[in-house]
Amino acid sequence: MKPSAFEYVRATSVDDAISALSQHGDEARLLAGGQSLIAMMNTRLAEPKVLVDIGRLSDLSYIRVDGDALSIGALTTHNTVLQSAEVAAHCPLVSAAYANVAHHTVRNRGTLGGNLCHNDPASEMPLVASLLDAELVLRGSGGERRVAAEDFFVDTFHTAAHADEILTEIRFARQGAGEGWAFEVVSQLKGDYAIVAAGCRFAMVDGVCRGVRLGFVGAGPAIKRVAAAETALEGQPVNGATIAAVAEAAVGAVDPHADMHADVQYKLDLVQALSERVLKQAASRAV
Amino acid sequence: MTTTMDPRIPPSRQREKPGQDLKWIGKGIRRVEDPRLLTGRGKYVDDVVLPNSLHAAALGSPHAHARIKSIDVSKARALPGVAAVLTGEDVAKSTGPLPCFSNPPTEQRCVAIDRVRHVGEPVAIVAAESRYVAEDALALIEVEYEELPVVMDAAEAVHATGDAVIHPERGETNVAIHRVFEFGDVDDDFAAADAVIKRKLRWPRSGAQPMETCGATAVFDEGEGKFTIHVNSSMYNYVGWLIAVTLGVPVHKLNLVPTLAGGSFGSKLFIHKVPVIAAVLARECGRPVKYLEDRIDNMTACDHHGSDRIYDCELALDADRRMTSMKCTVIDDYGAYFQFGIGHHGNALSQITGPYQIGSVKVDITAVFTNKCQQGAYRGFGSEVSNYVMERMVDAACAELDLDPVAFRKTNFIQPDQFPYFIPTGNLYDSGNYPAVLDKALDLLDYDGWRQKQKDALAEGRYIGIGLATCQERSVFSSTEFWSLNDEAGFALTSSPEGVSIKIDPTGNAVVSLQAPFWGNSPETMATMVLAEKLTIDPANISITYADTDHGVSGTGPGGSRYTVMLAGAIVGAVDTIKDKLFKIAGHLMEADTADLELRDGAVGLKGVPGKEMTIADLAMQAHFFRLSFPDEPGFDTGLDATTTYDHPLTTMPSEDRKDLGIYYPIMGHMCHMPVVEVDIKTGQVKFLDYVAVHDCGTMVNPKTLAGHIRGGTAQGIGTALYEEYKYDANGQLQNASFMDYLVPTAHEIPANMRIGHVETPSPFTEYGIKGGGEGGRMGAPPALAAAIEDALKPLGVKADFLPLTPAKLRGLIREAEAS
Repeated sequence: MKPSAFEYVRATSVDDAISALSQHGDEARLLAGGQSLIAMMNTRLAEPKVLVDIGRLSDLSYIRVDGDALSIGALTTHNTVLQSAEVAAHCPLVSAAYANVAHHTVRNRGTLGGNLCHNDPASEMPLVASLLDAELVLRGSGGERRVAAEDFFVDTFHTAAHADEILTEIRFARQGAGEGWAFEVVSQLKGDYAIVAAGCRFAMVDGVCRGVRLGFVGAGPAIKRVAAAETALEGQPVNGATIAAVAEAAVGAVDPHADMHADVQYKLDLVQALSERVLKQAASRAV
Repeated sequence: MTTTMDPRIPPSRQREKPGQDLKWIGKGIRRVEDPRLLTGRGKYVDDVVLPNSLHAAALGSPHAHARIKSIDVSKARALPGVAAVLTGEDVAKSTGPLPCFSNPPTEQRCVAIDRVRHVGEPVAIVAAESRYVAEDALALIEVEYEELPVVMDAAEAVHATGDAVIHPERGETNVAIHRVFEFGDVDDDFAAADAVIKRKLRWPRSGAQPMETCGATAVFDEGEGKFTIHVNSSMYNYVGWLIAVTLGVPVHKLNLVPTLAGGSFGSKLFIHKVPVIAAVLARECGRPVKYLEDRIDNMTACDHHGSDRIYDCELALDADRRMTSMKCTVIDDYGAYFQFGIGHHGNALSQITGPYQIGSVKVDITAVFTNKCQQGAYRGFGSEVSNYVMERMVDAACAELDLDPVAFRKTNFIQPDQFPYFIPTGNLYDSGNYPAVLDKALDLLDYDGWRQKQKDALAEGRYIGIGLATCQERSVFSSTEFWSLNDEAGFALTSSPEGVSIKIDPTGNAVVSLQAPFWGNSPETMATMVLAEKLTIDPANISITYADTDHGVSGTGPGGSRYTVMLAGAIVGAVDTIKDKLFKIAGHLMEADTADLELRDGAVGLKGVPGKEMTIADLAMQAHFFRLSFPDEPGFDTGLDATTTYDHPLTTMPSEDRKDLGIYYPIMGHMCHMPVVEVDIKTGQVKFLDYVAVHDCGTMVNPKTLAGHIRGGTAQGIGTALYEEYKYDANGQLQNASFMDYLVPTAHEIPANMRIGHVETPSPFTEYGIKGGGEGGRMGAPPALAAAIEDALKPLGVKADFLPLTPAKLRGLIREAEAS
């Protein structure tokens, strides 16, 4: 379990990193916290020719409120986000989800940006970014652009970032006061990737749900938000009947695959159970 | 102490009686190993760094069963930094098959020749300037395979023919051995039964997963024609000489040097493939070679997967609800090789009837070959499986006959006044007090309180279950079980000794040489405490070393929960020798009769005369340097040391017909595990609410380290029960050969509030009455958890007849129950 030979470049600035990426194209990979990439390199599932280490770009590690957004620098570690009072105050969904992201030592080094760019289908944070209408700020040789989470996560291990682009910032929509939200995970070991996770948020306006965001991890290769389930709740109160309707819509819309830990029926059972749980919990939080 | 007139029981050789007023034994002192281990100063196998070393890597087979048609290593050899690339045929020119204890032996090579039998089996090995280059070289080796039929299902393996036969040299079958053992009148007992309970039970293949993998650094001295191999194996002073036989050198031309082992749990019992690979490459290259398995190597090819069994079991009960007989048919999937034969079933048979009075038993054992990594040792060595089976059958009887699981156990227990007690297989249980252990557990748990909480919770739709398992922990194995179950006995060795050397230096401090490695247990603490007790010296004045094979004597090492008992026996013997000499010297100098002397507080003193004494330090100085002060008799010759070997304290031969297996695992511990769990019926997740474990390991040497065994073993038992399983697909690919996919419970998954209790029923046969406790909780947690989960889901009628009970599997059972 040793990587094949590679060239190592330590980037001294974002521009420096972009220049290295531009020079080496598809042969280069960015190294942030290394918690997925290094393991893949050690098993030779990834064999980049050039590794561009952005680990020392400390100016990409920050958390700040920026108008309606909570901006988090791409190199902010998971534990920094998890422990941030600002995140808890403005995007409690992120904090709650992070309680189940990875193990402590991985969270010490792994970064939010690295996690999102890896886009592992079993990872919680891409779903969280989708639920929070996040914008991802990309910088490349062509300048800076912002991509909505819905467009950024293209497919399993695949994002909209170009080969010469670096994710610099994640801008989560700040959750409104009194918003209902919940995030639930079923994994066998705490901190492992979820078998199924579910998250939702909505505003309660005159007793009905507005701006519903509802989605899953583990419900299908590229499935995050589930429109049919969101539609089933939009404009509806949360009660036994709507919960059942939403869960039914979710179960009907997802497409989970069997893996060594769980059969399809089990994942569907979890989509059902977690749909009910997140709705109840979100409703109990909403005012 | 117990005396017995039963002629089948040899007289006790116990010298140090239980119940003495002891200063060190029984105290929870901190482990003497810890300061250097916890500060990162322990020397593990990867810390052996020799100048000019090469690093090895092995190319594992990608196929589970295939003929090797050709291997082209030319590109790998040409890679800069590569010193050697060897195929199986290259290796076989100088090196023979690996040691094997089955009879007839099953030929296994450190690098496969002609045929591969499981994924990960080495087909070529490389030595290079770094492990990086070695792995680059592996990628350049071109192997052409012809795939053979893959045998993965143990039940189907029985019927395999033709190319699906994995070891055709052993005959046209994948049945490695089939034997039926019957003890007592099973047919009569079943004919007379009032009720018969039947279950099919499944125990899954898992493994020990030590943090450190197997490794070795080998040096070949061409001048001396001698190998030195640093390795993290145990048993090197027992059967390590077989490595020399494999390497084709005289036994005295191999020195095995132990290193600390970063965990074993059985899986480093006797490492052969890894040191042989390192040695072969060292001889080829004329340079030291280090070979350390990576995690994939270890999980796919460590030669130490655990038991993998399918049981069909029947239990007979009489009208008074006493268990009278048991029948089991078991198929055990041994994987591709058969290094220990069915010794695992010898373990099982040593306590097959559990803590209960069951008069007869029949076991029909079929061991099969499949295309998986072979079985080896894992904490319990197969007896943990029979604990699971016995307790599951007890719970099944209670469920079907509507019996109270506590009362039923108490009725069927062997009672305290029945020891020493022969079970039907011929093994003896030395001592025990099973009702006391159960009562203590019930009390610690607040059993009645939890039953009430369970009722209240159910009213709220929550499913709480209370598990109960009362299990045996056989300890101090005897080597007769290595061969007594074979069709032909083979190498019928009868001793598994443990030696120790103790040297008292001129200042009165002691150096103890152990003949076995540090294995993650506490051998230094044990040796220190027993020596301090026996010689009345300060533990701070004792240091412990580990003898290599050049300097060591016989020693079998940890395994089968034997080490503390055996080490105590050896130390008692050695100290008796040293004491004799101290008394001789002191008697001469003090002009006293040696019979009037005693050891007290680091000195030899005249009995009944306080102040009249000489310190051991003073006497040691005399013993080392002042020979002319003493009479010209051999007993006064210079030095103060002793080397003593302790043989098994109580073992007898099996009968020729094997209707009586003899006494071979008699130092019998006992445990009661009581977990309380809550099952989330929607997700199948299991959460611990409480956990109590009460163990009886005889006289405790150190409650702190014993509790560590119990806690750690329980964590592994939880892994077996809820999480762990090697998952092979139909093609023989191991799908979870990493800790990302093979799930080992972490601190989050084990009960935070586990409470441990002890009962001490000393052995009448061992020094101080100590029994083994090293396999700890893994012997009891799996059946206790299965019982707890079944108890929680009793309202739904769910039966849990297999492990691991993962959330998906458990939810599946609940779904089925809800539908019916």
